[in-house]
Amino acid sequence: MNLKSITMRLLFLSAVNATSLWAAYTLFTIENWAPLIILLFATFLIDFIYFSPRTNASKWLIPGTIFLIIFQIYPVMYTAVTAFTNYSTGHSVSREEAIDGLLKQNVEPVENGDQYSFIAIHLGERKALFLTPANGGDSIIGDEKGVKSSNNSAIPDGWVQFSNEELKTPDIQKWLTALQIPLANGNFLQADSFTTAIENRSLIKFDAEKNQLIDVASGESLKEKGGNFYYLDGTRMEPGWKIWVGFTNFTDVVSNERIRGPFFRVLIWTFAYAILSVLTTFILGLTLALTLNNSRVKGQRVWRSLLIIPYAIPGFLSILVWAGLLNDDYGLMNRALGTHIPWLFDATWAKVSTLLVNLWLGFPYMFLVSTGALQSIPAELSEAAQMDGASNKVVFSRIKLPLLLVTMAPLLIGSFAYNFNNFGGIYLLTGGGPAQNDSDVAGATDILISYTYKLAFSSGKGAQYGLATAISIIIFFIVASVSALSFKRTKALENLN
Amino acid sequence: MKKRNRDKVWWRYLVASIALIFSLMPVIWVIGAAFGPAGLTTQSVIPHVFVLDNFKVLFTDENVPFLKWYRNSLIVCTSAAILQVSIATFAAYAFSRFRFKGRRVSLVGLLVLQMFPQLLSIVAIYILMYKVHLVFPAIGTGSAIGLILVYLGGAMGYNTYLLKGFFDTIPKELDEAAKVDGATAGQTFTKIILPLATPMLAVVMLLSFIGLLNDFVLASLFLQTTDKYTLAVGLQAFISGQYEQQWGPFAAGALLTALPVIILFQFLQRYIVEGLSAGSVKG
Repeated sequence: MNLKSITMRLLFLSAVNATSLWAAYTLFTIENWAPLIILLFATFLIDFIYFSPRTNASKWLIPGTIFLIIFQIYPVMYTAVTAFTNYSTGHSVSREEAIDGLLKQNVEPVENGDQYSFIAIHLGERKALFLTPANGGDSIIGDEKGVKSSNNSAIPDGWVQFSNEELKTPDIQKWLTALQIPLANGNFLQADSFTTAIENRSLIKFDAEKNQLIDVASGESLKEKGGNFYYLDGTRMEPGWKIWVGFTNFTDVVSNERIRGPFFRVLIWTFAYAILSVLTTFILGLTLALTLNNSRVKGQRVWRSLLIIPYAIPGFLSILVWAGLLNDDYGLMNRALGTHIPWLFDATWAKVSTLLVNLWLGFPYMFLVSTGALQSIPAELSEAAQMDGASNKVVFSRIKLPLLLVTMAPLLIGSFAYNFNNFGGIYLLTGGGPAQNDSDVAGATDILISYTYKLAFSSGKGAQYGLATAISIIIFFIVASVSALSFKRTKALENLN
Repeated sequence: MKKRNRDKVWWRYLVASIALIFSLMPVIWVIGAAFGPAGLTTQSVIPHVFVLDNFKVLFTDENVPFLKWYRNSLIVCTSAAILQVSIATFAAYAFSRFRFKGRRVSLVGLLVLQMFPQLLSIVAIYILMYKVHLVFPAIGTGSAIGLILVYLGGAMGYNTYLLKGFFDTIPKELDEAAKVDGATAGQTFTKIILPLATPMLAVVMLLSFIGLLNDFVLASLFLQTTDKYTLAVGLQAFISGQYEQQWGPFAAGALLTALPVIILFQFLQRYIVEGLSAGSVKG
């Protein structure tokens, strides 16, 4: 080991350790223990491996492995776990946090209760309200802990009034809306505007012994089901909390009327889209390969360079450009054909459009690989067959095509797997639309992956993480079974030496 | 006989020409649009004016910070591609040259993991990085560094295989000779393997770069302010729902984005085709 490599190693390790120490300190101050322990353990492991004088493979594998664990393995596990929960907007917190929120929300003004005007004040970090009764009387000071009488009608010494600007900051607003000042009679004071507060009472209370919410008026326990409490009249209380739901997300896909309809429609279209994409690109690519792969065709290289230009253009650009070409009023397609076809706004035409665009994007790849496969077929085979009197047609269908398919099979399956999850090909062209039904998240051209994305991030109905991750798992099993088939055929695993 | 042959060739040119029209038509239309008027409504199939207004919009309009998007894409995709390929190269070297416990299991494991692309776990990645953002805003959602880190999660995938396969073809005798001369594993790697693999690494890096340039999903989840957009996110936001008005500037932007890639592609065509035949799929 020479000086240079030792210096390099030391520099690298000090950078890693410094970063990790800084991060560890931050995690320590916010008392985030689990990530802290993992971080320290990982840092220790890295130091140990790179300080060890022995030459070993782990030194070379560590960088990739770290990113693999954080951004592939952990997300896969998280996905698998989340698929068995009801995680979604409205079910994103723990039960304790949900109960906290419910207690704060479910209050009502006391009839003929006290009314106050207030001034928000603070003494350093301590915040409080300086309250003056509306019907006259002594002012009081109140905060989360309770009220203190003030024998004075002025703000006590040292306390400072919040300015209007300060009152508008999110932190202060959050504090003000959450603030409940307990009174001796069990009720509490709550701000109902920026300057006035009223006496409220709780409609529900938490019974720690029974671990249940109780309706104060009747004394009955509130029903708890599926991560939500229910009012006595049966309406659901929001927010709910995250719970395990077992296989519900998976069974819903089959049995829940509202989910089953769109899901199976999307599933069928996903298969159709993937299979038809592979078929159309393969047929066009192969046709071109057969056409041009002939010694009498001049300028083969020029033809090839020009024909694969769609492949060289970044895909997202091509798709966005195509969306313009397929514009129903002014797009090139309708102008060139002299038609007025709603390429992107009719369910059937939109499906045709996604396939057409994918054909344009994908045929050069198939053309290239088919050309390669054709050229690798020994000429003697066709010559021998022709010698025996086989026609060109027979030579093609009995000799070239079968050999070609053997070489191409893994690539075709790869292409199927790619198109099965071809998010960009759908989302950038049609956005999954046109909408099928107002209540459906899934549009006419949505495939499973874009449907998942919409469920999680942009359905307009809140995030449905539980269902979205369950569908991710289903996609994985579909693609994995198809790929497993291909591995078995190509025996890729046996070549891992 | 001679006549028959000639008869049989003409249809080949015909088929190829039709395919050529199909493949080049959108490209020609975009070039015309880039140098034509701004709106989709006024564009004709053959441009009757030649103006540079659309490019002016891209470079001067503050609402369309195209140059920023271009720079962001260059920075994010170049750094992620270099890091991805470096990581993959290290791992490939280990898998090719070392024999260690769990080697075969790791290789199979990597292969299986490839069936679960990052796209499928975007929900989990988003939630993870959102939590990171709350503690370390510099590397969580909303930051380009966070996005690059997530991209690195995919580094140990297909590229590792491709490169391992390539390293396997470099004779081991070379390593052993170096070892006899007292070279460490690091020196063998930098002095012997890397120089021999440079063309291969260049192609893998270009394909990684194009793949990253094409990423819309992760980039759109991570980069949520106009200034931070990459080209994919920025151009999509710019054009979606506005084809009638913004078609010209968009076409100009598309041209400026695609041109360097097409030129690089033509230069490296031979290597890329070889890589394709080995089973690579455009990312």
